[in-house]
Amino acid sequence: MGKQMVMSVMSKDRPGIVADITGVIYQLQGDLADLNQSVLCDYFTMILIATFDDSVTPEDVVAGFSHIQPETKLEVVVKEMDTPMEIAKAKRVKETYILTAQGKNRSGLVYRIGLFCCQHGINILDLATTLSGDQYTMILQLDLSRVASVDTIRTSLTGYAEESGLTVVLQHEDIFKATSEITLF
Amino acid sequence: MLRSDHILATVEMIQKENLDVRAVTMGINLLDCRGGDVRETCRRVEEKIGMAAAHFVATCDQVSKKYGIPVVNKRISVTPIAFVGAGFDRHGFVELALALDRAASAVGVDILGGFSAQVEKGMTATDREYIAAIPEALARTEKICASINIASSQKGINMDALALIGQTVKDLAEITKDQGGFGAAKFVVFCNQPGDNPFMAGAIHGLEEADLVLNVGVSGPGVIARALDRLIHAKGRENLGLDDIAEEIKQTTFRVTRCGELIGRQVSKELGIEFGVVDLSLAPTPTVGDSVGEILQILGVDVVGAPGSTAILAMLNDAVKKGGIFASKAVGGLSGAFIPVMEDAVLAEAVGSGALCLEKLEAMTCVCSVGLDMVPIPGSVDADTISAIIADEMALGMINNKTTAARLIPVPGKEAGEMVSFGGLFGASPIMPVRNVGKSSRFIAWGGRIPAPLHSFKN
Repeated sequence: MGKQMVMSVMSKDRPGIVADITGVIYQLQGDLADLNQSVLCDYFTMILIATFDDSVTPEDVVAGFSHIQPETKLEVVVKEMDTPMEIAKAKRVKETYILTAQGKNRSGLVYRIGLFCCQHGINILDLATTLSGDQYTMILQLDLSRVASVDTIRTSLTGYAEESGLTVVLQHEDIFKATSEITLF
Repeated sequence: MLRSDHILATVEMIQKENLDVRAVTMGINLLDCRGGDVRETCRRVEEKIGMAAAHFVATCDQVSKKYGIPVVNKRISVTPIAFVGAGFDRHGFVELALALDRAASAVGVDILGGFSAQVEKGMTATDREYIAAIPEALARTEKICASINIASSQKGINMDALALIGQTVKDLAEITKDQGGFGAAKFVVFCNQPGDNPFMAGAIHGLEEADLVLNVGVSGPGVIARALDRLIHAKGRENLGLDDIAEEIKQTTFRVTRCGELIGRQVSKELGIEFGVVDLSLAPTPTVGDSVGEILQILGVDVVGAPGSTAILAMLNDAVKKGGIFASKAVGGLSGAFIPVMEDAVLAEAVGSGALCLEKLEAMTCVCSVGLDMVPIPGSVDADTISAIIADEMALGMINNKTTAARLIPVPGKEAGEMVSFGGLFGASPIMPVRNVGKSSRFIAWGGRIPAPLHSFKN
């Protein structure tokens, strides 16, 4: 199935970055499988997975990126994947939970919630934070499949909320789908 | 991933505004429980309920924990008992009530409804025995609720039954006078009673229903009140019109209903029984901040009962339905805003201050669910006057093709203005004055039927 590589690109945001990046993959006859991009405070970042011929090396891909001559340089990391996988058949987490934590902004908030998840064997699938005034909001999508009891996590979260002064809410993702999407279940 | 603003709006609704699922009600058909005698019938009734609802409460609790949304009441509704006990005398019906009460306790539900009959056109000998059994049956049981359908748009009003019911309400209050006449709070009289309503005291498992079904009552006057507060605060009163308000109510109801349906469908899936309907009613509780009356105040009347109250309630009721109907696959039951006086702190306050009188309350019930509900009246009001008040409420439902109901509590030994409290979800209120007492006896004495109305020429 060829050689699967994962690429990470970061740059100051500007029009044309997606065309530049995917152009390099296209020139090398790579097959783009999946990508995820985000822009934060005018900085662009993207993670991609593509399959190339066995003859293509990560160095070739980096070289391809370095030939792009824009006004802003792309920071690129390319790695061959340890265990290649079929993206279309990749296992998705069956059910996820959404954790929201809100409170007065101060340093260490994300660290502490990250530590909480780590200590309880919770994997963070997605995390977004916003600062509005002095209120800091964290929204985490969590995989609790390795957790023995959601009840125990809720109890620990209550303690964590008291200790940290944050308002913490853990809800099943279905609730948000039900209230925000009109697809009938 | 879902959008952050949607997530936060939902979190706000669940956490800060106390969103809950007010009632999950399992409907159970008891027609196949009929045995050769009262004893055998009671045994089969207990056995069937015990089997059908063995895991009901535990499953509700488990789903509620998984989703982090409380299911406040777990209830059972059964086939109207007058059909199950056809041919029984009043003692037989009391025995049936006791059996239902034992069954409800055994499976751990809060309340069981369906100690009921349907007499909108005529009464059988059994129906008369059933009516005679109501006071004792409700006085001797803890969890049983009774209801009777006495009128419909298709059949008119059974005035013979209505004459009996006025006295039944009095007897019920009298036999439970130690509890302020609480018995009458467990008995409701209907016009056009639905067979899939999950709310008490009027829940029954209609004859048209399948063997087992699960109906859900969502609620959330508190959620709507807070959403409106927030909208007005964010946009400024001067920048909003009533159409904006109606839209906000619709949007909020949509989200509330979706949560209810999610929980209900999950419980029914786990139990392997059919999901029936979501009832979109706005049911207040005595808790501060969970009031329909408060919504009316937010929308512009200083006290409930002031001119404009009916118009606001009409808009609220309609917007709730519009939001909810799109949100749910199947809507049924009562589906409207309730204005139960004792269960709504703001309404009770309006009664206390004299702002809300019985006549205005009756007018308001023309545009919402479910009628003159949980209205405490002086214990001295005579049976004929009670029958006549109920007759007026039945006429509203009959002519307007809607469900109306009356749950009047003539509080023994107390007069207008005195307080009565039943505690918990049943609430408290000053007793509402009744004007023109004792002036309707000649009307009630007629008996017979008020014929079914025309269903055309509607003006």
